Amino acid sequence: MKDKLGQYYPILALTVVVFISIAVLSGMDSFTRDTIQYQKELKIQRMLNQLFREMSAYDFDESTEIYTITADDTKIGYAFLGVGVGYGGNIDIVVGLENKTTLRGIAVIAHAETPGLGDKILLPDFTDKFVGLDISEVNLTRDGGKVDAITGATISSRAVVDGVRNAAMEKAEFLPD
Amino acid sequence: MAKFWKQFLSGIVITNPLFVLALGLCPALAVSVTVTNGIGMSLATAFVLLGSAIVVSSIKNFVPNIVRIPIFIVVIASFVTIADLTLKAFIPTLADSLGIFLPLIVVNCIIMGRAEAFGSKHPVHLAIADALGAAVGFAIAMIIISFLREVLGTGQLAFKVVPYFDIHLFTLPVLGTDPMALFILPPGAFLLIGLLLALFRRLGVLKSE
Repeated sequence: MKDKLGQYYPILALTVVVFISIAVLSGMDSFTRDTIQYQKELKIQRMLNQLFREMSAYDFDESTEIYTITADDTKIGYAFLGVGVGYGGNIDIVVGLENKTTLRGIAVIAHAETPGLGDKILLPDFTDKFVGLDISEVNLTRDGGKVDAITGATISSRAVVDGVRNAAMEKAEFLPD
Repeated sequence: MAKFWKQFLSGIVITNPLFVLALGLCPALAVSVTVTNGIGMSLATAFVLLGSAIVVSSIKNFVPNIVRIPIFIVVIASFVTIADLTLKAFIPTLADSLGIFLPLIVVNCIIMGRAEAFGSKHPVHLAIADALGAAVGFAIAMIIISFLREVLGTGQLAFKVVPYFDIHLFTLPVLGTDPMALFILPPGAFLLIGLLLALFRRLGVLKSE
């Protein structure tokens, strides 16, 4: 068969291999798709649970990208993602609001800050300072706000503060008073 | 059978992918921050190595020489995608901490190197021996590097595979409170890998004498 096809044989061989690969991978995709989707939702739920321990359900609005959190059918707050530009790249933060202007808390979910210095933004020592603040107070102390920067990690601290404040201000117009 | 074991052992010692051939340094540097990551990366790499070795050596007689590299890459990429999807579905925390380096196993030169240099020229059972040897050699190297990095860089050893499955093995007395963060950073990894390469080279020289 090799000789009969001559110069077209390589094309045929490669095509066959690619089609077999496509078949195997589409099978694999349909086998894992639901589980991967479920894991993603679980991750979001766990992330929201960090800020709203009493949460019983959440609702995600696709257009505004805001999660509305409920506990026993009463609305207890909102959450959304914010991004700060840190020392090692983007810092992804989940911001929780009790109402339009009051922070419930924050949690850093992904970052690439320096271990031992910038990664202290993960610790409760830092994130607890955001609890209960008004959005207008979210700034470093030296910039007139109420959040103390981490010693030796001003850039990382400022990135988180800016990320939280910008996200909260951006989403404020979508939130009811 | 003797040939099988010889090929298997050579991958671990004589042609250890990391310490002797210095292949696959990029994932080794980037991912070896914790032992959990090191083991996860080794397992994913082993799966891809073994799968692609079996397929490549079984189809070698049908593969035209001029398109062999594209064909091998398609085979390897398929196995990497299978590993990627499986980890994302069943061990998402590990998939998250390996991040981009999981799909990047495609371009790990250990796998392409073994497929091209060995799998495409030898029968299936020897290709399996070769792949297993390279996989175990890589795993041993990864575990040594990640163990040293985690212990020196964080002062503790812990396994975090899935949430709620959290084994904290030990925290060192002095390093635990004041770890050498350098070893978590890329320069520390370079330093450690350099020292280990030198050590293995020395052992190799001693052995050949």
